[in-house]
Amino acid sequence: MYLVADIIVEICAAKSCKLCTQYCPEANTILYSEEMGKDQGFKYGSAYVAVDRCKGCAQCVWVCDNMAKNNAIKMIMIDQLPKAALTDNITYGEKSTTAVLASPVVG
Amino acid sequence: MSLDYVKFSNGFEKFMPKEYRDMVEHGPFGKKVTVSQMGNFKEVLEEHPMCAGCAMTLFIRLAMIAFPNPEDTITVGTAGCGRLAISQAAIPFVYGNYGDQNGVASGLSRGLRLRFGDKPKDVVVMAGDGGTADIGFQQVLHSWFRKERFTTIMLDNEVYGNTGGQESGMTNRGAVLKMAPLGKKFEKMDMLQMAKVAGCAYVATVVPNNPRRVESVIKKAVLIAREVGSTYIQAYTSCNIEYAIPTDKVMEDAKTVENDRYQFTEYVSDEAKQYLTERYGYKEFLPKPAAPAAAIPGKA
Repeated sequence: MYLVADIIVEICAAKSCKLCTQYCPEANTILYSEEMGKDQGFKYGSAYVAVDRCKGCAQCVWVCDNMAKNNAIKMIMIDQLPKAALTDNITYGEKSTTAVLASPVVG
Repeated sequence: MSLDYVKFSNGFEKFMPKEYRDMVEHGPFGKKVTVSQMGNFKEVLEEHPMCAGCAMTLFIRLAMIAFPNPEDTITVGTAGCGRLAISQAAIPFVYGNYGDQNGVASGLSRGLRLRFGDKPKDVVVMAGDGGTADIGFQQVLHSWFRKERFTTIMLDNEVYGNTGGQESGMTNRGAVLKMAPLGKKFEKMDMLQMAKVAGCAYVATVVPNNPRRVESVIKKAVLIAREVGSTYIQAYTSCNIEYAIPTDKVMEDAKTVENDRYQFTEYVSDEAKQYLTERYGYKEFLPKPAAPAAAIPGKA
């Protein structure tokens, strides 16, 4: 198994700095959803990780901890994530994306 | 070379992979996208085989977003790590022999001007420090002396990262690498000064730990290259493998190097300043408002 980034929605949706989306070296891996977070009553939307594209470099963790000082991203073994976003389940809208979360490990 | 190439062929829509459909329907083509919208639209760059945490990839990703007209852009590259990612984007990529990227780009940009006239078609060279400062040095410098109208971007990782860690002209003096065990004995080449001497209209250094600055620098360089002359950007894009930087410390290293030897510098020729102001409405080059007359001693 290997580590992937996991964003804690409760912290991210309260701050919504979006820095991690700008610092990830992989394209379309950390995405932003207006609905995620707002549907739980938070002020903003939240960033989330398309785990099938994440290479586990943890650059976003450094950016979130040291530049944004939010500590909202942790590295987690992919089989310990209950549900996660996968590229196939992400739809792009006009100004935001929507993800249907699913189990990241098949079988 | 127009919005037509990012459309579906009739009848093939339903057979295209999801990534392609997303790119056509929600990509940046024909729209103005900025770094602050990242994460909300489909990017032209796709999955690539570059190392995890590579700062060069981050720079390339930002560059692809910064191109003013991605549908009217051609990238030219050469051997080196960068081409592994640049070739995975929905922007035509020309891959020359090692070191001839600026020669290829010269012909390409002249040909596009003959074919399309005044319609802007941008040519952007993205090559490593080896391709630009060592092996392609002669063609790079000559293209600048000829004032060829395209942008040259050096992805400076200060090492030949793809072949096991040999020193390059851009490696720092004293740097010890796997294939340079005694340390480099010569100074890092001053390509910025050479670009200015050779007559580049725009010269800038940038580090990818400031995405908005990367965006603004690349936009200016590409716009200036449309009319005024050669433009050159030197970007520090560390090699976390050869310099043994832990992947989660890549941005920390970028910050350290930025403070040490890669401070942001920007040179814009007077002609380029005038062009950006008049043609694209840039306000930063307008003369500063004059100080009140009374404050200037010796004036009535």
